[in-house]
Amino acid sequence: MRKSLSLFLLLISFTVQAEQWPGEQWPTGAKISGAAVEALETYAFPPRDDTTRQGIRTDALLIIRDSQLIYERYAGPTRAETPHLTWSISKSLMATVLGVAYGEDLFKLDDPVSKFYPALEKHPAITVADLLHWASGLDWQEDYEYAPLKSSVVAMLYTRGHRDMPAFTANHDAYAPPGQTFRYSSGDSNLLAAALKNMVGPQRYPDYPWTALFEPLGIRHAVWETDAGGTFVASSYAYLTARDLARVGLLMARDGRWHDRQLLPKDWVAFNRTAFAGYKVHQDEAVPGGQWWLNRPADGAAAPWPDAPPDTFAALGHWGQALYVIPSEKLVIVRYADDRDGNYRHNELLKRVLKAVQP
Amino acid sequence: MKLLKRVLLLALIVLLGWIWLERENLWAFPDIISAYTAKEYCSCRYVMNNDAEYCRGYVKQWLPTSRFSDDSASKTITVSGMGRSNRAQWLSERQGCRLNPQVNR
Repeated sequence: MRKSLSLFLLLISFTVQAEQWPGEQWPTGAKISGAAVEALETYAFPPRDDTTRQGIRTDALLIIRDSQLIYERYAGPTRAETPHLTWSISKSLMATVLGVAYGEDLFKLDDPVSKFYPALEKHPAITVADLLHWASGLDWQEDYEYAPLKSSVVAMLYTRGHRDMPAFTANHDAYAPPGQTFRYSSGDSNLLAAALKNMVGPQRYPDYPWTALFEPLGIRHAVWETDAGGTFVASSYAYLTARDLARVGLLMARDGRWHDRQLLPKDWVAFNRTAFAGYKVHQDEAVPGGQWWLNRPADGAAAPWPDAPPDTFAALGHWGQALYVIPSEKLVIVRYADDRDGNYRHNELLKRVLKAVQP
Repeated sequence: MKLLKRVLLLALIVLLGWIWLERENLWAFPDIISAYTAKEYCSCRYVMNNDAEYCRGYVKQWLPTSRFSDDSASKTITVSGMGRSNRAQWLSERQGCRLNPQVNR
């Protein structure tokens, strides 16, 4: 009797310690509550004004701890089933799709991109790694709202470039040798999407993000818009529910492994999470890795989000979209938003989330 | 007076030079408002499945649009503004919307 009881207890403890993964739904953990959660909500969900569109306007906030959903709230028109526009989180998603192709040995980081995308032969020295670092050296202007006439990204999405976004990018002149300097560029990300076409072949390409990444992760409702040439708009136009985006976060938190399958090679994730050496302090709001953003000290400056652990990394998008991953805390945080001004602060949200999840 | 004329002439030459250098950007510029509105409204309405009224507010910019139509049967949005017209259409569950301009020139 005593023996079977101890065996029973052993089995229980085994089950408790076993690693959890989302099935069709996320396993739910004990919901967090208390003053720290209220402080988080005061920051993330102030009264919302859809007329003036001022201030912090969170559409969705989701917290996963150790694969358990412990907090979830939606606002505005967004629901759990809304495939929300991710804007530039798409860049990190494309990098993750590329990671699967990397695991298939379809390319190497130092391959010239023109090998896969011949339209780039005017710039033959640009490598895959350079594009992943936003270091193509192409003279790209990323400003969205403040310099509409000169903005490369506005022209690419809405006017001269929208039919063929990678070709529009490839037609830019160089301002620096590739691989030397960081300049955030949606064009660089769309060149990666164009390169992927020949890496996997035009037959597999239209379904590749689904077969390579979304389906293995159990993501059922992803949308990824393309240009007229069928190239995925890797810079801007992937749509996922908050719960589904969190799956990508969990994949990254666990070093590219999903259940027993190493979907992304470990050295790929390590590359994503290594700061680009050519980055100069204050060039951007966080430190660029391989199409992901890092909370690392760089170029003599402190980490960009001092209240978050140094292993925090993120996929970030226009108007406040964010997927934060903190492996040391086993945390994945999704925030969707419609922030039209610059009030929102990553560090402030992370600080309040970290307080709210304290046991 | 003569000096002023020369300065004005020089300014005019500089301006014309700038227009020539920026001719592609200047020509494309008026399309931005209608193209942006058509494309992002289409995705707001038919990809994110938000309601029409919310999506009108979502795409609102400081520049006005002059004509707006949303044909819900074909999921096609046509928008005019600054003398240009652009269209966006929902294509499929995976591909969402695409900008497909029919520019009136």
